[in-house]
Amino acid sequence: MAEIAAAGIVKRYGGLIANDGVVLSAERGEIHGVMGENGAGKTTLMSILFGLQAPDAGEIRVRDAPVCFRSPIDAMAAGLGMVHQSFKLFGSLTAWENIVYGAEPKRGPFIDRRAARDRVAKLSEHHHLAVDPDVQVGDLSVGVRQRIEILKALYRDARILILDEPTAVLTPPERDALFAVLKNLASEGRTVLLVTHKLHEVTAITDRVTILRDGRTVANLRTADTNAGEIVRAMTGRNVNLKVAKRPLPPGDTLLKAVDVTIASPSGKHVVDHVSLTVRGGEIVGIAGVAGNGQNELVEALVGLRNSDGGSVEICGRDVTDADVATHRAAGLAYIPEDRAAVGSAAEASATDNLAMGFHRSAPLASGPFINPSAFAERARALIRRFAIRIASERTDVGTLSGGNLQKIVVARELSHESPALIAEQPSRGLDVGATEYIHEQLVAERDRGRAVLLVSAELSEILGLSDRVLVMFEGRILADLPQERANVQNVGLLMAGRGAEAG
Amino acid sequence: MIQSLFTPFLFQSTAQAITPILFAALAGVLCGRVGVFNLALEGQILVGAFAAIVGSYFGHSALVGVAAGMAGAAVFSLILGYGATIFRGDPVVIGIGMNLLASGLTAYLLRVVFGVSGTFSDPNVVGLGRITIPALVSVPVLGWAFGRQSALTFAVWALTALISVVLFLTPVGLRLRGVGEQPAAAGALGIDVARYRSVTVLIAGALTGLAGAQLSLGAVSVFAEDMSAGRGWIAVVAVMLGRNNPLYAAAACVLFGFADAIGVNLQSHGLPSQLTDIAPYVATLLALVISHRRRTRASLRSRQSAPATEREGQRVGATNSPPLDD
Amino acid sequence: MSAFSSALKLAGDRLRIPPVALAIGFAALVGAALILVSGHDPMSAYVEIAKGSLSFEALPDTLNWATPLVGMTLAAAVPLRGGMVNLGGDGQLVIGGLIGALAPLFLPGHGALGATVGLALAGLGGGVYAALAAWGEVRHGVPMLISSLLLSYPAIGVTSYLARFPLRDVSTGLPQTLMVPSDARLYVLSGALNVGSLLIAAIAIAVVFVDQRTSAGYELRMRGKNPHFAKYGGVQLARQAVRTMFASGAIAGVVGAIIVLGSQFRFIDGALVTPAYTWSGLMAALLVSGEPVGAIVAGLFFAALQTGGFAMQRETSVPRVLTLVLQAIVILFLAMRRGLGRRT
Repeated sequence: MAEIAAAGIVKRYGGLIANDGVVLSAERGEIHGVMGENGAGKTTLMSILFGLQAPDAGEIRVRDAPVCFRSPIDAMAAGLGMVHQSFKLFGSLTAWENIVYGAEPKRGPFIDRRAARDRVAKLSEHHHLAVDPDVQVGDLSVGVRQRIEILKALYRDARILILDEPTAVLTPPERDALFAVLKNLASEGRTVLLVTHKLHEVTAITDRVTILRDGRTVANLRTADTNAGEIVRAMTGRNVNLKVAKRPLPPGDTLLKAVDVTIASPSGKHVVDHVSLTVRGGEIVGIAGVAGNGQNELVEALVGLRNSDGGSVEICGRDVTDADVATHRAAGLAYIPEDRAAVGSAAEASATDNLAMGFHRSAPLASGPFINPSAFAERARALIRRFAIRIASERTDVGTLSGGNLQKIVVARELSHESPALIAEQPSRGLDVGATEYIHEQLVAERDRGRAVLLVSAELSEILGLSDRVLVMFEGRILADLPQERANVQNVGLLMAGRGAEAG
Repeated sequence: MIQSLFTPFLFQSTAQAITPILFAALAGVLCGRVGVFNLALEGQILVGAFAAIVGSYFGHSALVGVAAGMAGAAVFSLILGYGATIFRGDPVVIGIGMNLLASGLTAYLLRVVFGVSGTFSDPNVVGLGRITIPALVSVPVLGWAFGRQSALTFAVWALTALISVVLFLTPVGLRLRGVGEQPAAAGALGIDVARYRSVTVLIAGALTGLAGAQLSLGAVSVFAEDMSAGRGWIAVVAVMLGRNNPLYAAAACVLFGFADAIGVNLQSHGLPSQLTDIAPYVATLLALVISHRRRTRASLRSRQSAPATEREGQRVGATNSPPLDD
Repeated sequence: MSAFSSALKLAGDRLRIPPVALAIGFAALVGAALILVSGHDPMSAYVEIAKGSLSFEALPDTLNWATPLVGMTLAAAVPLRGGMVNLGGDGQLVIGGLIGALAPLFLPGHGALGATVGLALAGLGGGVYAALAAWGEVRHGVPMLISSLLLSYPAIGVTSYLARFPLRDVSTGLPQTLMVPSDARLYVLSGALNVGSLLIAAIAIAVVFVDQRTSAGYELRMRGKNPHFAKYGGVQLARQAVRTMFASGAIAGVVGAIIVLGSQFRFIDGALVTPAYTWSGLMAALLVSGEPVGAIVAGLFFAALQTGGFAMQRETSVPRVLTLVLQAIVILFLAMRRGLGRRT
């Protein structure tokens, strides 16, 4: 008898089919991997299992009883628990308040604080999920927050635990600790559904794995009986090669330079701690690191979105320390931001207006204080053609575009500045393989044109595949500066976990 | 002059001036806690004041008046309750619209119901009357302030305590706080966010009704067009300064009430009312500048999206404007 | 009410009625109920509104009323286009009005020159006062939404004091300043219409032009759509906020001076604030999220509604303040309906 089974799940969003007859079945006490590339339908499937969305067709059974979840409340009542990729926690509340929220132990009309705290402490001890019940969650690291999310599910006695990409935010040691916890839970007879796109995690911990591609279940394998090659083929339908062909190039002048840049958080902690780096023309320098180790803040300081608390920044030899964005751009910097929707574009504005930003004060788009609407449109049409952006017309609002096409808008605009220096932050996040390859080619082409490219990515394969030099950032500091030949998954991985000595 | 300023009367009028502002601020705190930015306090007070007069006039009882004030303002607040939850309208636009609607509607009904414009007073309107506590009257400061006041002046402080206890010690309070901070997280744990919000806005509406009743039935029994006269906006600021904490908001209200009372007192010393009337607004502005000055220094200048509650509070039209600075 | 408006929305979607028309229809229905409560006939009241605003004889009155209203609509629309709200129009209006009344009295310069100087100084005064709120936000983090409004109260209080005491025209017994010399008044075109209307029309054209055809307008539009994007693209948000608010306040100040120099010829305490031009203008601008052409149309519509309101009150004795209620219902209806669309 399967603990949880889904059959024939179909989910459509408008014209897009996210799930197209998905089948999944997991036994009691099993760690079951759910694999697939971005957009394969993993997250949709999990949302349906947890009652966040209703399937258009298909059946879900829990311990053989057919269920119909109208909301997560129904799913929780049936013994499901979910740890979302972006945590759903209240930052201003304490750990115990977060955990008991909605199911508080009571004494009279009041919350029984002692009982609540005791239960949380017991759970945390029993499952080896170290959490101080009285700490405000907003102050906690990502790893601890994840433990609180798991405790939330266990507090409600979840028999089936869904974890959506739980390791994306963890350092390798944190990941190992999480896996130990999951194994423990499975040995208690709980079922774990582990959603991931990382191969080594599936082989390391799962008993079985279901592989999705294009919204369909393409394989259901016993992990012990399979190998990495088989899984990759099932996921992609082909063998992929992430290395991008690059010709050797002698590095040119230093175009982007940071010296001792330091940024303090409100609590006084150094989020960025005396970071120095140089990027020369004709090279791609990659900054590797687990998200949240100061990369965001560093980039904000480099592009002028934030003032630093020390250090200096130079672009093409010009000191732009703590100057505004316009000054940075004028000095020769283009920037592909991490969040293309919230920062890199205006959803309710047309492609024309989105593509004009930064060009709107100079010829040919402007003369003096006036702008020329037909020049705006002409420029937009040219870029849409050149970057093969799929959009109805240049007058269409970019909010209607897919992630890949929206990213092309951002890339088209930034690259057409032809600035000597370029900062690209998580440029392929959430994109499919085709769009990712396209973006990567563009970045290498920039390098080949003699420009300086600073690539910031949490995706190690992207860093290793593209960079001429790899910097590793950990807790606000640059731990290493490795030439491409000396950077590999093992040593960069260890450095990302802060274990510089072992990386050698 | 200083000596003649700090009279028992000053403290009495301070306590009196605080009452409507604090009722409204408590309403704003509750709404803020569930993530509904309430800019409509001004209008809600006005509707409450009018409904209280109507209730008292036709019911021949101050109690009926207070009940009518609460009911009227609560019904009026349904616009915000539904508008900002089910319809997901922009709370800023809804707030501004409601304030105008309140101003127009009360003026219209004043003419239709009572056949007058401007102000309305009538012997049939039963005021709240003052409760005298003989033991307290002669105690300096506290006694001066609370020795002889309307029941609502006492009630507002009891409610401040009650709301604090509910918010910070009970399950409902915990849920309210969560709903405002991370509606998605609360929803994921089985909390019906829209229901919590609309019920809270409704209760807050009743509180603004008490604010209105105190205005129209408290010290004097009269309704005047636009008699809320900016008190709702001051309450909005008190909520901001108090960061949605009822006790801090009450402290801010004390400051504004004191400024108001000093203004009134200065009038009796011959200063024109046009100048003394602005005292609470100037105090409010100064308090805003001082409190934000400290906060800006510490705040992170991040480009990351502001939390949903904050963002919702700042949205205008279809646009999104979280706090940004260069 | 929610079920009712959902039903209306459904009807609107089926029949493709534009939301604005739907909102007006809804407001008319609620208004009809209110008129019935007062014991009058809604139909005849509405007919009087239409006759009293759009008939040939009434049109000049409507345009005259529209002059300050459209002006305040523009004052609200300019910052709204960039996602900012100026709630302090009343304060800027009275500052402009008082300056407009005093400049021809106390500054040298005769006739049209005096009026021009008065208008310019009024714009400067209103602009600086509005920019103060923006400066408070960018420099000290005080939210402009609230500070702009709070600043109105001292402005109204102080101007009221000045008109009642030191600057009062003691010969009249009313709280008002001395009359401006007749040669400094705005040139009368015909009847109640004066050059002020042309000036507002010119400002309207300028606002539309800046919005559509200048880099500054482009930057403001982008800020309104996504301020993070504008900042990332190099727009200097702080400077932009101060300048935009200055422009907004300047328009409000000029409107104040136009009323004073064009129709009242003196600063009368309360006369600029009581008609609620600021709030009607803000409503009109909110109706279209600050898009200038739409805002002008909405401003004209509200002006017609209010002018018609006078006729309605005269002919049917339904209080004209009803038109304010109708306006508020239109904006509330649209705010919620827009929210419905956003829901997906």
